[in-house]
Amino acid sequence: MTDAEGQPPEEGQAGALDNLGVATPELTRREFLYYLWASSMAVFLAGVGGVTIWFALPRFREGEFGGVFTISIDDIPAPDTDPKEFAEGRFWLVNLGDEAVNDPRQPEEYTFDPGIRVLFKVCVHLGCLYKWVDVNDRFECPCHGSKYLKSASRIGGPANRNLDQFLMQVIDVSGNVLTQTEATWPGDREGSTLSIPAGAVALRIDTGSRMNGAPNTAAAGGT
Amino acid sequence: MRIPRPKILSLPFLDDIEEKGVVKASTDLADDVVTRVTSGLNITDIRGVLRGDPAVRPNPRLTPHAEGFWLHMKPTYYNNLMDGLYPTFRLGWLATFFLVWETLTGLYLMIFYTPSPLVAYENMLNILSNVPFGRWMRDTHKLGGELMVLVVVFHMVRTYITGSYKRPRQFTWATGGILLILTLFVSFFGYLLPWDQLSLWAVTIGASTAEATPFIGREADLLMRGGPEIGANGLLRAYLIHVILIPIIMFIFLGIHYYKVILHGHSLPPGVEEPGVDTARKVPMNVRTYFMPKILTRELVYVAGLTLIMLVASAFTLGYHAPLEPHADNLVTPLHTTSPWYFLWIQGMMKLGDKFIFGALIPFGIVFGTIVAWPYIEVGRNRRYGKRRIGLSIAASSIVLAAILTYMGTPWFGVETSPDQEAIAILLPQTSPGPLRLADWNDIPFGTYSASEWESAPTRTTSKLLKMFDRELDHARDNPIYGDVEGFMVVEDWQSDLKKITVRVVWVDPETGTPGEFSEIFFFHRDSDYGQGE
Repeated sequence: MTDAEGQPPEEGQAGALDNLGVATPELTRREFLYYLWASSMAVFLAGVGGVTIWFALPRFREGEFGGVFTISIDDIPAPDTDPKEFAEGRFWLVNLGDEAVNDPRQPEEYTFDPGIRVLFKVCVHLGCLYKWVDVNDRFECPCHGSKYLKSASRIGGPANRNLDQFLMQVIDVSGNVLTQTEATWPGDREGSTLSIPAGAVALRIDTGSRMNGAPNTAAAGGT
Repeated sequence: MRIPRPKILSLPFLDDIEEKGVVKASTDLADDVVTRVTSGLNITDIRGVLRGDPAVRPNPRLTPHAEGFWLHMKPTYYNNLMDGLYPTFRLGWLATFFLVWETLTGLYLMIFYTPSPLVAYENMLNILSNVPFGRWMRDTHKLGGELMVLVVVFHMVRTYITGSYKRPRQFTWATGGILLILTLFVSFFGYLLPWDQLSLWAVTIGASTAEATPFIGREADLLMRGGPEIGANGLLRAYLIHVILIPIIMFIFLGIHYYKVILHGHSLPPGVEEPGVDTARKVPMNVRTYFMPKILTRELVYVAGLTLIMLVASAFTLGYHAPLEPHADNLVTPLHTTSPWYFLWIQGMMKLGDKFIFGALIPFGIVFGTIVAWPYIEVGRNRRYGKRRIGLSIAASSIVLAAILTYMGTPWFGVETSPDQEAIAILLPQTSPGPLRLADWNDIPFGTYSASEWESAPTRTTSKLLKMFDRELDHARDNPIYGDVEGFMVVEDWQSDLKKITVRVVWVDPETGTPGEFSEIFFFHRDSDYGQGE
């Protein structure tokens, strides 16, 4: 065996013996260049693959189904009444009163004050739209049976966190923000409830900024 | 008689005519063309095949296998043992038949289909009502897809039971496992195309499962959905995956699979060989059944028979008819939404806990991974049933487990809602037309009927519907959160030929004494055709 340049084989060209006693030939320049070329081809193909994915990824605005909704405070349901549905924004508006705060089914980790929350209408399990079931006084998902209280806390089913919420601001007549949803759980999760301060005229709800619910995996709810 | 002709043109056929005369030259030419088309059989050879004459030596019937494209994918002879239905049941051939059947019927449907949410559902209605044989074409395409899943599964079960996946056929099995996964996915993406409620929500669940994958989940989900929720982009993507991407991969793997089958030969029944020995390629002369004519005609007869079965299965009133649910609606998830039946076991597992573990890792990573890699894991050489007790037991218990999980995937496990809503869903289900919509318009007279008085209803149909309603209301009556429960059906004359039917459940809360009510309204037109002409 001679290498590409026709130089005489160096000592050891026949190679070291491996542990089976079989000679492994040494790497020649030609072989090395082949590997180099092959790896550049592999890198190129990986690049093509990456570009294909980049190309195929959809372009859209976050929360493009909705936008910013302004809701008069007169449209807020009374405390502890049924949640109100806003189909075009994919959310429910809930007003949690003392009854909700003291609900025996409420997992105790997720404490909250009486007030308003905006719940993203999509089940955090696999993306179906859960619905309000009046008789059972809870939200139920028709796909895999996740159950949630009006307070957004999961109390059953395969979902692994509480319902997601949209960022809500309470504004006065000149548009100043009086109060807004804050995270109450580490990792920017579990939005606070908002009470309506004096002078408030409307709620501003941005479906583009969503706050995930707190982790919740115990059988009857809770971490 | 010689016609002098200038020697500028050299036409062998004309020379032949000069030499042999017109008749002989023409028959020789025909013979030549036939030999070229069949890659080696002339007219006399073909007649010999058809008459059942013994082959001459050298055997011209082997040439098409060696030189032709189509028959190079077919063995020249089988072992006599492999000639009948047992042990293969011809399931592989059947699966190939369905792949071709789906491709052809799919091409017809493509003529009348546009993958856009604006018109896709309308296209369905057009195919169902205006296109000649359109409804049959859709039904047979859907039925063929479902049967193909079944046939591929049976094919693998058979291969497993007879131990035919063992050395040297490990790779054949692995490609078969990949073909199974592709079959499931090509069916699944086809689900979205009618753009009805079933489509939209089944695929939403599928895409959300992909989303649960760590690191790449969000990108995988977006690539599939084409946006934050399934819309025009998602439908177009599902269409392209269904008609181009997966079919191309399937044909490639079918080629590899077929090549390996021919390379190794069909494995003989496990009992006839010495353990660990594979004699499929060493067939003694006296036990050979040649492909031509016996196997060839037999396979063509199977194809003809299957075509007849498929033709009849979706025809006429009693045949199979593909369901079409209401138009897709991104704002409403129907009660009792389920995945396709062959994915119910995954839906069942997903009710157990973490969606990534139960929805992606176990089914696609572990289950399908194990299926594909099985011959490299279970490497015992003996194919006799008695020596494979563990392997066969694992398979049997897996099938039982899959059946249990499939049950758990149905709405009857863990997804029931309040009894009042369930009672109304008995008459007006949200995932199928159901008994009320399918009833004869004339059999539901105007009036107000109460469920518990079903016996005194004016028509048999009304009485039957109310009885079903009443039975289901018993669940509410057993439930302490309802006091006095009663169901009503109110049928009003709304417009000419249009009835407004209100199905209502009313109750009194036993603690507070406040009344509760849940109802659904259904507008029933004389010409509404939920049964698609049944």
